[in-house]
Amino acid sequence: MSFASYMAKRIVRMVLSLVAVSMITFTLLQMAPGNFADIQRISAGAAQFGGAGTEDMVHAFASRYGDDIPAWRQYLIFMKGAATWDFGPSYKYPTRDVQDIIAQGFPISATIALIAVAISLVIAIPIGMFAALRQNSPADHGTMFVITLGTALPNYLTGVILVVIFTLTFGILPSSGWSGPEHMVMPILALVLGPTAVLARYVRSSMLETLREEYVVAALAKGGRQSVVITRHALRNSLIPIVTVLGPLLASLMTGTVFVEALFRIPGLGLFFAQAAASRDMPLLMGTALFFALILMTMNLIVDLVYGYLDPRIRAAGGVSRWRSQKRLSRQAA
Amino acid sequence: MALAEATEPTGSIEAVKARGHWAGAWARFRANRLAFISLIFCGLLVITAIAAPWIAPYHFTETDPTARLAPIGADGHWLGTDMLGRDLFSRMIYGLRTALFVAFGAELASLVVAIVIGLSAGYIGGRVDQGLMGITDVMYAFPSYLFAIVLVTVMGRSLWAVMLAIGISSWVTQARLVRAQVLSVKEREYIEAARSMGASGTTISFRYILPNAVGPLLVTTSFAIPAAIGAEAGLALLGLGVQPPTPSWGSMISEGTSYILAAPHLLLFPAGMFALTLLAFTWVGDGVRDAFDANGESR
Repeated sequence: MSFASYMAKRIVRMVLSLVAVSMITFTLLQMAPGNFADIQRISAGAAQFGGAGTEDMVHAFASRYGDDIPAWRQYLIFMKGAATWDFGPSYKYPTRDVQDIIAQGFPISATIALIAVAISLVIAIPIGMFAALRQNSPADHGTMFVITLGTALPNYLTGVILVVIFTLTFGILPSSGWSGPEHMVMPILALVLGPTAVLARYVRSSMLETLREEYVVAALAKGGRQSVVITRHALRNSLIPIVTVLGPLLASLMTGTVFVEALFRIPGLGLFFAQAAASRDMPLLMGTALFFALILMTMNLIVDLVYGYLDPRIRAAGGVSRWRSQKRLSRQAA
Repeated sequence: MALAEATEPTGSIEAVKARGHWAGAWARFRANRLAFISLIFCGLLVITAIAAPWIAPYHFTETDPTARLAPIGADGHWLGTDMLGRDLFSRMIYGLRTALFVAFGAELASLVVAIVIGLSAGYIGGRVDQGLMGITDVMYAFPSYLFAIVLVTVMGRSLWAVMLAIGISSWVTQARLVRAQVLSVKEREYIEAARSMGASGTTISFRYILPNAVGPLLVTTSFAIPAAIGAEAGLALLGLGVQPPTPSWGSMISEGTSYILAAPHLLLFPAGMFALTLLAFTWVGDGVRDAFDANGESR
């Protein structure tokens, strides 16, 4: 299969999946009891506008998603806009368009997620390598123990523990807000543990596998120094499978920021998504859900391409199916 | 326990024969001390959750207006009370009940769906299979947490809704697993033999194919349970979990953070218990995986 036709196929599938995601979200929202206006009326007073104001505002939307317009047309109106990256104004923040909220929130979430992944890579590769080289030693068991901690504890719980340590006990870091570097420390630390655990586990098992390969044995038998063999031959090859986890990992971090952002009150995309869900803000919820799905699928595509590029065996065989199944395995494990 | 006896290496032929796949797995699991202790701990948690009304000294809605934000060791409330004067110990026990009910219920539901869909996709193949693959592709494109959030928004915040939301967003992986197992044994001779003797598709699927998938399913399920406990608390943390006053560890942690200076025990106990529970279930999962993975290759 040529590269162009492969890409074309993938992109068609991406578009179809996005349409499916939008339809599912929209249908579910239509089935939901109570709409945005009802929920605002119930919590009126607490919200920024009173009952009467809400009526006015809902009327203002009548041209776009009014009660008199059937649901399927509302969907088409939304999707027509979405195709040109215009999701229309949010219900909750009527003065702002959803794409502007995304443009403002996404860089914040992306910054946190990317820094977190970068830090985890820096920590996880040496840890995983070290554990693999000393398999079944106390150091290895200790590493695995820490890795289990990282897999078991969700990032918001790590965040809470960090708040207890740095805010409550030492009082050196603010527990909420988003205005300076001191606000970034705890959210990023909270996010680092999980990916570090996943990556270290991967590096370790991948390294163990590579060390058993014949070419490593051959390189050693030829008289290669152990450190050279390990860094030149073993590490380089054992890092290739890591690429496959990086994509899903980054994506899960992107969505994982929902909790960390809620905990630390960071105005990122995740916080907007959670608020949109709670207040039934249809355009914002649809927009952010589609955006998250788009990010996830793009990431998977990039991972597939990079993986194909890195592993010549896969490139030569053109075996798309083989690396897809590999990737699934890694995703299950992640 | 016959199972345990069979695993003792007595040397006789009977003992060797009896030591099948399951007995071997159980022996390996028991040899893993951390996993075994964790299993006992998890068992105690389950019993506590079931017997919550008898163990908890108060009902979770019962308020004590004379003792709000009471500290640890207060009169009649040995773990103190929250901002409404509700007994923290009792609320933690009921929170455990919520967490385990949601987690086990969600995984049971997702297991049933996954088995039915995975078996039919793998066994029937063709259109059914393509349909399933289409659905799973879309589900993979939809981050599961986000999907659960949307579902809870739609179905309301009852215990059942939260359970369903978590279950629905986690069946895909297991359905794929079942399907893969079916495909790997479908063409074996013993299936052929069963078919030639006139066994129906349902019989073949459930009696001859499914048992092959039980081990891998047990492994994924034992990891899915702590994940579901975490998801339940996570939803509650976002204010999208079970409707208060039903206690959930997530909302208790979220409340605790607001009273972190006045009453740190409101945060420390639920968060600590939550962490311990997640760890115990994860260690059981680790043990189960190692027990079924006799070569220890993927550890």
